Amino acid sequence: MSVKVKTLDDLTLPPPGADSPLSTQEYFINMGPQHPATHGVLRLLLRLDGENVREVIPVLGYIHRGIEKIGENSSYRQTIHLVDRLDYLSALMNNWVVSMVVERAAGIETNDRIEYIRTIMAELQRLQSHTLWWGVIGMDLGAFTPFLYGFRDREYATDIFEETIGARLTMNYIQPGGLMNDIHPNFVKRTKEFLEYLKPKIDEYDELVSGNAIIQKRLVNIGILSAEDAISFGTTGPVLRASGVPYDLRKIEPYGVYGKVEFDVAVGQAGDSWDRYIVRVMEMRESVKIIEQLIDNIPEGDYMTVKVAKAIKPPEGRYYGHLETARGVIGCFIVSDGKDKPYRFHLRTPNFNNLWCLTKIAKGWKIADLVAIASSLDIVIPDIDR
Amino acid sequence: MGLVNLRKIRRAKQEIGGREVAVVISPRPEQTRLGTTVWQTFKSLLTGMKITISYLFRPSTVVTQQYPENRETLQMFDRYRAQLKLVYDEAGGRLCNCCQICENACPNQSIKIEWTKNPDTKKKELERWIWRMDSCTFCNACVQACPSNSITFGNEFESAVYDRRLLVYTLNDKAGPDAKVWSAIEDPAEREKLMRKMDRYSGPIPLSGTSLPGNPSGKEG
Amino acid sequence: MTAFSSFLFNYLNGVTANVYEPVSVATRAAEVWAHEPWLAIGWLALGMAVMLGFLVVIGMGLIYGERKIAGHFQCRLGPMRVGWHGLLQVIADTLKLLVKEDVVPAKADKVLHVLAPVLAIMATLLALAIVPATPWFQLIDVNIGVIYVTAVGSIGVLGVLIGGWSSNNKWSLLGAMRAGAQIISYEVSATLALLIIVLFAGSLQLSTIVESQADGWWIWRSHLAGIVAFFTFLIASTAELNRTPFDLPEGESELTAGFHTEYSGMRFAFFFLAEFINMFVASAIAATLFLGGWMPFQIAGLDGFNAVMQAIPPGVWFAVKTGGLIFLLMWFRWTFPRLRIDQLMGLEWKFLLPVGFVNLLFAAVLILMGWYFAPIPA
Repeated sequence: MSVKVKTLDDLTLPPPGADSPLSTQEYFINMGPQHPATHGVLRLLLRLDGENVREVIPVLGYIHRGIEKIGENSSYRQTIHLVDRLDYLSALMNNWVVSMVVERAAGIETNDRIEYIRTIMAELQRLQSHTLWWGVIGMDLGAFTPFLYGFRDREYATDIFEETIGARLTMNYIQPGGLMNDIHPNFVKRTKEFLEYLKPKIDEYDELVSGNAIIQKRLVNIGILSAEDAISFGTTGPVLRASGVPYDLRKIEPYGVYGKVEFDVAVGQAGDSWDRYIVRVMEMRESVKIIEQLIDNIPEGDYMTVKVAKAIKPPEGRYYGHLETARGVIGCFIVSDGKDKPYRFHLRTPNFNNLWCLTKIAKGWKIADLVAIASSLDIVIPDIDR
Repeated sequence: MGLVNLRKIRRAKQEIGGREVAVVISPRPEQTRLGTTVWQTFKSLLTGMKITISYLFRPSTVVTQQYPENRETLQMFDRYRAQLKLVYDEAGGRLCNCCQICENACPNQSIKIEWTKNPDTKKKELERWIWRMDSCTFCNACVQACPSNSITFGNEFESAVYDRRLLVYTLNDKAGPDAKVWSAIEDPAEREKLMRKMDRYSGPIPLSGTSLPGNPSGKEG
Repeated sequence: MTAFSSFLFNYLNGVTANVYEPVSVATRAAEVWAHEPWLAIGWLALGMAVMLGFLVVIGMGLIYGERKIAGHFQCRLGPMRVGWHGLLQVIADTLKLLVKEDVVPAKADKVLHVLAPVLAIMATLLALAIVPATPWFQLIDVNIGVIYVTAVGSIGVLGVLIGGWSSNNKWSLLGAMRAGAQIISYEVSATLALLIIVLFAGSLQLSTIVESQADGWWIWRSHLAGIVAFFTFLIASTAELNRTPFDLPEGESELTAGFHTEYSGMRFAFFFLAEFINMFVASAIAATLFLGGWMPFQIAGLDGFNAVMQAIPPGVWFAVKTGGLIFLLMWFRWTFPRLRIDQLMGLEWKFLLPVGFVNLLFAAVLILMGWYFAPIPA
């Protein structure tokens, strides 16, 4: 038995007869690697018929930095700061998943305080990520003002991070055995202020963008991803939930202190761009709820349970752990040979799978819709290429 | 097809993998009459316009920071990680004892500590504490790993230079023994004798490349 | 020429003097052409100089205004660095664009590539010439003014189309095709809306249309027809101007920069300037036709009020009305997202055009019956 490997040439050959009543000629166009709608160095090779998208072929690798390979040459603590750079809008969750696996492997215990702070930070990060995404989808649909409103609101969350952690984007905060440093004395006050500030802003988001008739025209029933397709593409996060599958690791396999808080999983009905849009807006409200329940109840305790200078040497074996970032499930797989560096360090990143469903759902829509669909998938490119 | 009523969010229980999960279900467009749809469309557009104009007439909502002009009032958070610095005790003695744990903790070899052994005291004496800011990722691993708390990150974020070579710093301005020896000596004149002055640049090549042309050796970048 | 000037002269004498006596620069030149040709040339030179100054001043003012207004819409400050509150920023940018390298793509059609921005700005200039800013300042006042405006306006799309085609870039081509489809479609609605006012005023000449509104602006004197026509014209001209929510030809997030992707330096500045001046022209035409141009706000019967309103110079009236409409266009731009090309076409052919036709019929009935909201005192 042989398998014919589809090369780029196979994919890009002209098709037998276009299904258009007009006699038209198909053509190819490169969207990216430098294009305003791809938010980074993603390259989409488009086969177009006029404005209609016939085929989308993602071409990856423009920001491949070999993070997994570098991880195999760094100690367990050093890998943490690398995964900041995958999905930089979920840096803390990326930190967390590696820490979680290393803790599990090396049998490191954490305390309640650490878990509370981790959960709050992760939810703040989710809010931060979603506010930015909200602005960006507005800009992709041609409205520039939401972009700046989104960035403005994100700034408050970033300031909270900066005060406690000392960095705004690549934070390296959640580490095996605890946290880099304790929360700042102002942290609780500032977080509460932020939530009070953000709640009316989310309503404003609804008025300015969600409720806007043009936005709804541009999103509703566009790029429908059925639940079956979503699962078979391996999509996770808001993309999967928008297709009506309530798969959320915070509920299914509660980590941190998610088991102790009440919140709902936002799901969609049709799996179109609109559902992917509104699911994220609803998630913002749920994140606010989660933080509100936790922020007053942070227990006392240490912020680090192990000595930082001591090398971590997990026993030989294979370890896996996963959790829910702002974009979906990030999984971390570590093979340990008992030394202070992982033998194999692999990451299952959400954006890679979320991107590939674009090849199916963008077919047949217009270029403008492709931009809207790609934006509703909320892709962060370094997370794809790693 | 009409517009979406954003308030119509249904709460329900859904099953996945044998677990019941509390969900909120997204609102979808409703079937409305043409007149209603047209009216709602205009209303939604006007609502958006109301929001933007409300910001136009409230200059207090402007969030722009006019950075170079606001240098005097600009307050950075005290934990902000920008410039690596050595810590000194009250007497001015350097806490770093050249144990090189930070050098090992650094994920990208941005730290190099050069030391010599004093033949009299048999103790390590710091020659150069070299920090390569050009490859540093500000991950804080060195500060965390330091057993004597002798390094810290400062807030001075204005570190842009025109030449990449100027980002390789010698952090210690004086070479010599650490605080244990230094602070034990009472007489300031005696103390100074133990120390040799170090400039911010210069040092081994390529780590700190003074021999390269155009490098203003010994001057601040 | 003499025949033309005598016609104009006779026409002028025939005009019953209103409060103001509208005399355009071209008319003045035509008047004196027969016996004092140098004076006529002087008039024309003056007109050209004024128009050039007008073009630059309005262009820069609008660009500065747009950037400032956009900034405050978005909780920003806008330009602040060059000059007081960034007042000189536009001049700095203009200088930058003028001295920038002018890149022509290797496989571009060079002649057309150079021609396109010239066409675009030429159409704008021609349209600008007819705007009756004040009774004593209008460069040309042709008797078929409304037709002239629509005709000249469609030269602009030629510039956009040629620019997109000659760049030899697929994104540019897509943008140009979008522009062609969009502008030509919306031209129909815009013209229909203008026709309604032509019906009411009974003239195609812009100065006459302004005069016909001495007792009240057409937007409120024509029952509902004027309001509907005004909004149709506003939407259609926004589409013709390529401004959000109809900025598909440029659609930054989709087509990088649409038809002017391959333009840089001075040629880009031409397109850019043309866009902003077009915005001014469209607002000025809307103000002239629907809001009475430089006519003050008058309510029949209230003589005291009318006297106060007439004390405000007509130039101010014109500037306020046009400025208000320009602000509205900016407000649209900084609030709304962009439509999709088929939705855009649907809006025109399925909604605006039928509305426009019905409105035209309705207006015709109104005129036939002589039903005006405030009847003209015979």
